[in-house]
Amino acid sequence: MTEVLIAGAGITRFGRTEDVSGRQHAVRAVTAALADAGIEWSRVGAAFGGSDAAGNADTLVAELGLTGVPFVNVKNGCATGGSALVSAANAIRSGMADVVVAVGFDKHPRGAFDPRPADWGLDEAYGRDGLMVTTQFFGMKIQRYMHDHGISARTLGLVAEKAYRNGALNPNAWRRKAISADEVLASGMVNDPLTRFMFCSPGEGAAALVLCAPHEGVPVTLRAAEVRTRTFGTFEVFSPWVPGGELTSVSRAAATAVFERAGLGPGDVDVVQVQDTESGAEVMHLAECGFCADGEQEKLIAEGATEISGTLPVNTDGGCIANGEPIGASGLRQVYEVVLQLRGRAGVRQVPGGPRVGFTHVYGAPGVSACTVLSG
Amino acid sequence: MTLSAVGELWTWTVQRFEPKSPPYVPPPGGFAPSAVGYVELPEGVRVAAVLDTDDLASIRIGMPVRIEAGVGVPRARSADD
Repeated sequence: MTEVLIAGAGITRFGRTEDVSGRQHAVRAVTAALADAGIEWSRVGAAFGGSDAAGNADTLVAELGLTGVPFVNVKNGCATGGSALVSAANAIRSGMADVVVAVGFDKHPRGAFDPRPADWGLDEAYGRDGLMVTTQFFGMKIQRYMHDHGISARTLGLVAEKAYRNGALNPNAWRRKAISADEVLASGMVNDPLTRFMFCSPGEGAAALVLCAPHEGVPVTLRAAEVRTRTFGTFEVFSPWVPGGELTSVSRAAATAVFERAGLGPGDVDVVQVQDTESGAEVMHLAECGFCADGEQEKLIAEGATEISGTLPVNTDGGCIANGEPIGASGLRQVYEVVLQLRGRAGVRQVPGGPRVGFTHVYGAPGVSACTVLSG
Repeated sequence: MTLSAVGELWTWTVQRFEPKSPPYVPPPGGFAPSAVGYVELPEGVRVAAVLDTDDLASIRIGMPVRIEAGVGVPRARSADD
């Protein structure tokens, strides 16, 4: 199968602005990725991208150039960036084009998301009675996980503390001020057991990648990218009911598939980015993606294993907690960070020892996950 | 299949901030923090429900709860009430 290389990666500052649209962020990210690759837009043979709430990616040709390039809009919730990347990689593998762009961007209003029940196939009562709230799900999932696997509230505090510490080292992060675990725990309960500073906030930003067929001098390979939707027995956002017995996981399914395709396993990975919508998500996703056993996180996190200098560096750019959650952009933000790490160009947040393999993972409603494995 | 009316609380959280309207419609007295959870029934299903309680601090995983279908989403309360 044709190898797919990452020739260029670009990102904007994440956060919240008054005067920059989501589309403008996207143009900046694509322009930065092209400059990084040393490739003109006119050389791009196909493009895939999207946002959840900031418009259509194919309209970006107005600013990028009217070259006639096939540009496919992708709208797949939290997997928008990952799905764009899968499509872009397949375009290279199929021979459709030898230079392909993937872009994810978004811009959300302040406050929690306010989805409409009908869009999710649910009765209006779920919205009317206050159950269409994503943060509730995250609270309930980690609440049960803590009960079953001995994870403490302190560990949730430490996950957020690390996110803000890493964010302070990332010039593109939204939250760049260190916050201690004690401050995180005391920041006010939002959805028990999760406090305000444990959550990411909906925000804005964009990330873009330029993919190419095998080419000299391009050091980062996209080994595999996979997207999965839920199967029976998973516990998801906006579920009126969940089957009894042991839970399955869409993240576990996507991670298993991506490792199989890459011919690598979790033990080969030197730098990890997982969806950290809030502290509990990072804890649970580490186990679901195969990096530790359920409950082992309590010890790993206390020992500092998930720090940049640890044995399993996780969310080295500060993750969603420090960067915010522009839904369409987060998946490609993670890939951008892994590309920097594998090139050895992550500056003050560089994972020591020359990382060779990186992994990314996003998760979202209604039970979708996208994962990638990259190697340097 | 007819489901049992009594089960165990499988998990829960407290909604501490007012959800956005629409779609949320606050009760006549206005929004107040309230509990939600999943009730595990003996038939092998966990059902999402609003958890009616006067004491948010008393909620525990595994507590026996009685659940009822009605107008709106299912509602549950402690089986000891």
